[in-house]
This record gives sequence, C-alpha cells and structure tokens, in this order.
Amino acid sequence: MAAEDLRPTVLAVDDTPENLDVVKGILSDDYHIKVAVNGHIALKIAQSQSPDLILLDIMMPEIDGYEVCRQLKADPVTKDIPVIFLTAKGETADEAEGFKLGAADYILKPVNPPLLKARVKTHLALKRNMDELQAAYAVINRQKERMQEELNVGRDIQLSMVPDTFPAFPDRDEFDIHALLQPAREIGGDFYDYFFVERDKLCICVGDVSGKGVPAALFMAVTKTMIKSTAAEDHSPASIITRVNDEISQDNPSCMFITLFLGLLDVGTGEFRYTNAGHPYPYLKRADGIIETLKQVHGPVVGAMDGLAYGEDRVSLDQDDQLLIFTDGITEAMDVGDQLYGEQRVIDLFQSASTKVLNTLVNATLESVESFAGEAEQADDITILALRYDTVPRTAAGETLEIAVTNQLSEIDRVNDRFNEFAEQCGIQMPVSLKINMVFDELLANVISYAYSDEDAHSIEVIVNCAENRLTISISDDGMPFNPFTREDPDITLSVEDREIGGLGIMLVKNTMDETGYQRRHNRNIVTLIKHLDS
Amino acid sequence: MEISTRDEGDTKVVMLNGKLDTNTTPAAEGEINSLLDAGVSKLLINFEHLSYISSSGLRLLLATAKKLKASGGDLRVCSLNEMATEVFEVSGFSAILNVFASEQEALGG
Repeated sequence: MAAEDLRPTVLAVDDTPENLDVVKGILSDDYHIKVAVNGHIALKIAQSQSPDLILLDIMMPEIDGYEVCRQLKADPVTKDIPVIFLTAKGETADEAEGFKLGAADYILKPVNPPLLKARVKTHLALKRNMDELQAAYAVINRQKERMQEELNVGRDIQLSMVPDTFPAFPDRDEFDIHALLQPAREIGGDFYDYFFVERDKLCICVGDVSGKGVPAALFMAVTKTMIKSTAAEDHSPASIITRVNDEISQDNPSCMFITLFLGLLDVGTGEFRYTNAGHPYPYLKRADGIIETLKQVHGPVVGAMDGLAYGEDRVSLDQDDQLLIFTDGITEAMDVGDQLYGEQRVIDLFQSASTKVLNTLVNATLESVESFAGEAEQADDITILALRYDTVPRTAAGETLEIAVTNQLSEIDRVNDRFNEFAEQCGIQMPVSLKINMVFDELLANVISYAYSDEDAHSIEVIVNCAENRLTISISDDGMPFNPFTREDPDITLSVEDREIGGLGIMLVKNTMDETGYQRRHNRNIVTLIKHLDS
Repeated sequence: MEISTRDEGDTKVVMLNGKLDTNTTPAAEGEINSLLDAGVSKLLINFEHLSYISSSGLRLLLATAKKLKASGGDLRVCSLNEMATEVFEVSGFSAILNVFASEQEALGG
C-alpha cells in the first residue's frame, strides 16, 4: 500500500461513468485514480486532496468543464494543478478558450490510450519540474530574506555604535564637531567616534573595516571599543594604534583589517597629534582658507600584522581652523560612467565652502558626492567628520601672570603680593593696583568661603594679562555654579541704621572694573574682568 | 595689619596700619569690639596708613557705626587715601559715615 500511495494522483472528471472507466483502465497501473461525476465534486476533491493532475470533461450539466477550470485556477490551493481537457470531436472550436483559462492540454475523445498515457506523463513531469523550481525559488527567497535581515542587523549594530547627537558637547565652546555616516545598501564597516580622555583632550577617530555585513559590523564594534578603552589610559595616538593593532592582529582569523585615522586634540592649546593607519588623507583648512593635506601615513592598515610600531605627527590648530576627515566612500564614489569623485573634488568643495557651520559643511559634502554619483548606486559607506577649533589662544599679547591657588583664605595675600610685583613690572599705578587687590580679596574670599560644600582642596586659577593699556583678569574655580554678577546691588542711599551689612563686595568689583563677565565652562566658574589703564 | 590706639581727649583714636580685608578684618574687629565693650563711645578710625579696604572692612565700619549709633556714641573716620575714598563713594559710605580729611579736623569737629 505504501508504494501505491507514492504514485501520482490523477483526478478524472466526467458525467459519463463509462468514460471514467475507460480512463481508469488506461491509467490505473501507473497512477492513483480519483473520479468525480460532476463539477461540484471535482472542485471538492481538487480542494481537499490536491491531485497531481486533473482530466476534465467539458460538456457537463450544472457546471461545465470551463467553469470548473476557471474556479480551479482562481483558487491558490488548486491553481497550479495541471488541467487536461478531454473533449469529444466537434468541440474543438473552443480549444482556444480552454487554453485561455489556463488548461495545460487538450485530448480528443474517444481517447487513444498510448496518447493519453504519454500526455499525462509529460504534464506530470512538467509539473514536477515546476514544483522543484518553485521550491528552489522559495529557498532562494528565504536565503535572500535572511541575508537582508543580516544586513539590517549589521547596519543596526553599525549605526548604534556611532554617536549621532549634535551638538556633541554643548557645554564646550573651544571647538565644534559634526559627523555623518551613510551606510551603503550592502553595508561596509565605517565608523567614527569622539570622546574626551581628559578634561582638555579630545580623541577623534574615523575608520573603515574591510568586508561587509554582520562580520564587518562586529569587527568594527570590537575595534571601536578597543580604541576607546586604550585611549582612556594612553594619550598618544601612535601608542593607541600600536596597541590596538597588536591586539587585533594576534587574533584575527577572518583576516579583516581596518583603515584608521586617530587624533588627540588638546582643546586648551590647539595641539593636534595624529596617527594615520592606511586611511585617506584628511584635510586641514586654515582660517585664511589655505588647505593643508595631512599627508603623513604612519603605518599600514590596522589588523594586518602585529608587532608594528606606528608613529605620529602633530599640527597646531588655531582659531577657526577646520579639519575634514572622511572614508574612501567619498573619494571612491563613482558616477554612472565609473568615474571617481576623487580627492580634488573634496579639496575644491572644502576650499569653496564659506560656512563655519559644520553641519552645513558635512551635508554639503554628502550632497556633492550624491549629485556626482547620480543614478549610480552607493557602493561603500560614506563617513564625514568635521572639526573646527575655536579657542582664542590663551597666550595673548603683552605680559601674563598665572597663579594657581588653593581654597585657603591665606592664599589671597599671596595672589595680591604676586600681582603687585607684576603690576610694578607692567608700570601699573599704585592706586589702580590697590583697587585690584581689593577686587581679588572680594572675589577669592567669595569663592573660598562659599563655592565648596566639602573640606577638600580645590584648584582656583588666576590669570592676569596686561596688554595695550588693558588689564584682563580671569579667575576660574571648580566650585558649585555661581554667577556673582547677577546679585542686585545694595541700596546705598539708606541710613546707617537701615543699611544691610552684606552685598557690598561685588558692587565694589563692578564699580572698580570696566567690564565684568561670567561663564560656566568645563564645570568651572570663570569670571573675567577688564580694567582700562589709560583712564 | 597693625592696630594702635591712643586717647585724644574723650575720643579713642584707632590707627590702622596695612590693609583692611578678608584676612585682617577679624583682628581689627576684635580690637574695636573690645574698645566698645570697655565703654568707648567716641571713636575715630584713622586711615592714614591704610593701603586698601575691601568690603569686609566696610562691613566692620558699618557694624561699628550701627552699635555706636544705637548707644548714642559717635564714629568718625579720617585721612582716607585715594583708593579708600573711591570705595567710600561707590558704597555710599561717604554719605552715611562722618568722614574727615585729617585727624585734626576730625577731632576739632
């Protein structure tokens, strides 16, 4: 029985039982035969038992063969079952309609046994081929879906690994940074990152992992994490990359590698130290518009070979200098004619960009690449990172005095002694320096007495600059946020009895100095005071 | 900061030598309070040798003036240098305290 069940099933439909007997006689050796004496039964059996082939009489009462065929083809369950019409002579004029309805073949009655056998065999073979093709197609589709899913997972990993909130450091105004990562349809492994390793040291990196998909994304994630943890304890770009390269190269069975540009910016001084491991050259645009190429490459791509010692270079950034770091998704973007976007287009665009807004610069770069590529598909990830250095150099013209102070009231005398010496050197008149002594007394006493809620030692920094008849004083402390200049002045018209004891100091400071300012930066209060000396 | 006192008739004259700021005011405050505690009611603070004064010094002067006013006493200050004069003007103290150009004028008044 089991063997019998494996034979293909043929459903024969005819309202004449004798005809069914004939078909049975011819086919029952090779096939499992089901019969139906009208259209209704035929449709039911077709639905419930999925025969491999249907032999269908056309002329039947109630529902004719055409209608049965139409209904079979309209039902997803039965639409792929081949239908062969069995038709008496004289009905051939309707062959065309039968084929239009999706019939596989026509056989004329009375049936010629070898012909029927041959036709049924052929159509079952065709059906089997079709089924196999469809199964294969389904497998391919599933595979494709899985790959797409994998790509999506990879892209999710990739995009979740890069910081994308801007402004990135809202409380820091010594620099601005903006970055963008646009994955290709089949993702590559681009990434960027920036983070502080010290209060004044910003680490920036842009990388491009070879390979695509989830493996590239994971490799990127590992590399990025390794860079961050290494940079936390090692503040040399050369040393960071050397260590990361060793770590990755020693355990890299998939032989993936990564092009990497890593720099450390001292936001206080503008010094930028960097290491380039096989990465496209970044460009530096000076405030006067001159473009410099950071052409130094300090070693091969990361992950290729362990034991390499990478080098580093340094460049000094000044006010308004801009740095553009990117991946080869920019320079190797192609237009429809397979022409490359290339370095020169990046330089020209950077050169002509008049904006100081990095968001605009980054987007303009991407737009330029996209309009160049036109209809051509983006083949690789595109990453652009722009940095602008903003700080006015601390070493202003003239003479500068810096005094590091702790939170002890006795330090006020030391500050005033140092200042008086400095004032004498700068030729500041005695009445003026006495007033400045009073200013220091007021402000430092305030900070030392009220800015700290603990008993710990704290650092207060006093910087005095004397240049061009102008004395500039900056006092910064790491105490709780407090702007001394927001307090209202006491009413000085009141009598002795009514006058309040407090609130005089800041009023004296404001009246003594020509300009006073306050800002909160790097978790420090910074008070700036200016006195014009020629008056 | 050096503080010396002497009597000129019924007035106690306090000579301040140095500066009157956050770190030195507490000593001056102790000296003046002990004079008030001892019953001094006429006080002249001589600024001749005072290089500068900050708001802590002003607070001491105001507190002393309040106490003497309440007890019917009298506070005078004299011989302010340029710096102190400006501070007194900015703070309104030149209007509420009895300020004299010299000790002689202060004692003669």
